[in-house]
Amino acid sequence: MITPSNLAVRVADRLGGLAAPWDVFAERSRRFEIHLSGSRVELTRGPIVLEGYGLRLLRATDGQTGVGFQASTDFSNDAIRTAVEEAEKFARFNRFPAPHPELPVGRPPTANGAKILDPALWSDPSGTLERFAVALVAAFDGRNGVVPSFSSVKATLTETSIANSTGLAHAYAHTVVETEVAVKAFGGPEGRPPGEYWFTDIERRLDPQALPTLTAEWSRFAEDARGAKSPPNGEVPVVLPPEVLAGIVPTVVRFRFGAAARLRGLAVEAGSQVGTEGLDVLDDGMFDWGVGSSPLDDEGTPSRTRTVISNGRAAELLSDVLHADALRITSTGNGARTGGMDPGTGFWRKFTRRPTPDASTLVIAAGDGGTDPEIIEQVDDGIWVQQIGWAQPDELSGRFGGEIRIGYRIRHGKLAEPVRGGTVGGAVVAREGAPSLLHDLSVIGSKPKLMGSLSSPTLLIRSLSVSGDDLAAATAVPGSPG
Amino acid sequence: MAQRVRGENMTLDSKSLSTAASPPLLGVVFRAWSGTRWVETAVSGLDERALTGAAEGLESQLAASRPGSPPPGPSATTVGSFDTAPRRPMRDLGTEGALAWVREVFRWVTDVPMIKFARVSLSWNEEERHYLNTAGANCYQRLDRVRAGVVPVAIENGRSEFDAFSVGRLGGQEILDSITEAAVRRASEGARALLTAKAPPSGLMNVLLDPGTTGTFAHESFGHGTEADQFVRNRSYLQPLLGRTIGPEFLTLVDDGSIPGAWGSIYFDDEGHRSQRTPLVDHGQFVGALHDRGTAFALGASPTGNTRRADFLGQAFVRMTNTSVEPGDWSYEELVNEARDGIVLERWLSGMEDPLGGQMQLKVLKGHRIEKGKVTDLVSSMALSGSVLQFLRDIRGIGKAEHREIDAGYCGKGYGDTLPVGDGGTYLLSRALVGPS
Repeated sequence: MITPSNLAVRVADRLGGLAAPWDVFAERSRRFEIHLSGSRVELTRGPIVLEGYGLRLLRATDGQTGVGFQASTDFSNDAIRTAVEEAEKFARFNRFPAPHPELPVGRPPTANGAKILDPALWSDPSGTLERFAVALVAAFDGRNGVVPSFSSVKATLTETSIANSTGLAHAYAHTVVETEVAVKAFGGPEGRPPGEYWFTDIERRLDPQALPTLTAEWSRFAEDARGAKSPPNGEVPVVLPPEVLAGIVPTVVRFRFGAAARLRGLAVEAGSQVGTEGLDVLDDGMFDWGVGSSPLDDEGTPSRTRTVISNGRAAELLSDVLHADALRITSTGNGARTGGMDPGTGFWRKFTRRPTPDASTLVIAAGDGGTDPEIIEQVDDGIWVQQIGWAQPDELSGRFGGEIRIGYRIRHGKLAEPVRGGTVGGAVVAREGAPSLLHDLSVIGSKPKLMGSLSSPTLLIRSLSVSGDDLAAATAVPGSPG
Repeated sequence: MAQRVRGENMTLDSKSLSTAASPPLLGVVFRAWSGTRWVETAVSGLDERALTGAAEGLESQLAASRPGSPPPGPSATTVGSFDTAPRRPMRDLGTEGALAWVREVFRWVTDVPMIKFARVSLSWNEEERHYLNTAGANCYQRLDRVRAGVVPVAIENGRSEFDAFSVGRLGGQEILDSITEAAVRRASEGARALLTAKAPPSGLMNVLLDPGTTGTFAHESFGHGTEADQFVRNRSYLQPLLGRTIGPEFLTLVDDGSIPGAWGSIYFDDEGHRSQRTPLVDHGQFVGALHDRGTAFALGASPTGNTRRADFLGQAFVRMTNTSVEPGDWSYEELVNEARDGIVLERWLSGMEDPLGGQMQLKVLKGHRIEKGKVTDLVSSMALSGSVLQFLRDIRGIGKAEHREIDAGYCGKGYGDTLPVGDGGTYLLSRALVGPS
């Protein structure tokens, strides 16, 4: 049993008679990293220790709220006093249209929280990373013409704590692991250029037992990249597995279905048909091993499951305390201190950021489309996209697109030759009647997979725009929605 | 390396105003050579307890190491104090002064029909880095960075489109002077115009990159491709081409961390080596790479001042500073006429490298079709994809210096470690695959 340190209470206890409402969010993170060049360890880092807190004050001003915020890594009395003064100063400038925001009231944490901590990693981070690195290198033993050119594993062990002026005081511990492996395929008598598959992932735990299967997949993708041809050009049926969807769907859904967008007139219309009938998308802060899962959101509201899209229609709005008050609703437990452009820091350093509405772990519910081979069987002519360089979904327009790093042509219901280069793109959500990924689903697979903060089955999209220099464009895929 | 960052940021949008101090960064990272590998520890804060803990952590790692070789490459011996010392520091403007500026810009950006939402942001920070090593290096630098931008969003009949305009440089209040009402209004008009933009064409075509997109091309193609840690890992398609002609005679591409005031400039890197101008492609010939001490040692080169940490919590490895394509002698009109048919790519959004495969991806917010040597219809966002070497072979012209820009961007390497970089260039005409995005 791990008893996380409660730094937030340590700060809160020294706030004296500070006027309510206020909250303190604190973190103590230890980070450990191992970096390999080929099979050789070239750098080990850790512990990298970061301790800090963010103090937020809510001050009523002209029917609105002045939000004051100040973060600090200094826990001295003087520094806490300065943080209060600075937060009060900024609160006088700031305005947010929430007349009476109410912070969550203290209550005991739920007994059966989501699994978000890797016990082995917590008890021996350096040793666990070293052993994982050894297992990673060993998994390539005996593979002809395939090597890891570089790799890194970074583990962050965090004790998060929250305290506020209502008496809430809670702490929990969690782990996050970032893995990066570049796999190179080379050699052979025919003098083909080398090929690479670059794997990246963020998870809650390390699973060395999965490495033999994963390295076999990575090696195949790297080898197939060597002889891949340009994809077809045109509107093409496209199959997207969870690995690709994780880089596309969350960015758009968490904004367009969130209270920040609703307040600013940028959200999808409530109740509108945003997806194929039969499509259900949940936000589940209690989803085991989800990177976005936690017992409480980042302002202390207990996590729970929300329905974001129900049978293709926009349902609940994701909100934090401030936006909920502005919109006359209640917080959904989606006050998150994520944000920033760096995916490698979104899950830590949270104390430096203020809460805003965001998704926790998004879950696209499994459909009846079957396994990946069964989905492929339903495509006469299309492509399977295994990796996009950077889909860079845009939360405002809802569009995404990027270069196909590796994929496969689908011909007559079977995976055919590898494709690479060219682009694939479209909209995740669009206004009613316009084409979009969520609206043009032909098949929703039956086998969900968790990738970071998205759990999703493989999806078949009736058509997306693909650019390539193979002018033999594919035909439309048969099949009905859902 | 010890680091401290202080500053403020503020955002005004159609519904709220938010100001705060910049996220605090105060801490130190220790690095030591164990005989076979580098080992590092880091800690936030500079008090004795924190420093002792980090030092003990480092000693613990070293105690577990095996004897080996001396550290690779030359240790820096730079001594000195370097400071951007802006004439009008942002801190002198004060929160109220900065907010007055933000409110004025917000008025400009929203004073255009169809702009239903807008966001104006301003951030500034004073970053101090102090580097010491056992070879005698003892150097301090202070970099004052200012960045400001607007994002107008036009909405009509359920369709929303945005445009963007931003400026980022080292310096002080004078940077705000470069954001004019005319430039801000152009962004708002741009968002409005995108409401009726057509879908872009798809396929292989002539592409005319605007100066910012040319900078992104420089960054993603020869920037990442010449980070020499990729050479050491045998992970760069460019390595075998060093010394060979890979582009037209009029193509020169450099990384330069010593440009005064540029967003990616530094006085010295995080191994203590001075920043410098490093030619990567010189008149079409691939001539150089970017090095840290380790890659320089492995490849018989010299460090180029390109070892950078995102902050004291991140690792030090080979990174770019300001990467740009040098100007040519074509006018914009000549380039459009030369293209005859194709597309102008405008307002870069992002790029992505492929160090081993030699591909690249560029994304832009908008563009215009080129038909019969004339610029015609506005089209919406696009992604460009292609082989870098083929793209180089297809370069037909580079614009004059009058269009040259060095834009402020951020670069991640691998998964994270995002830091400020400059990307620059002028107009550049080549050929590539383009599709909607």
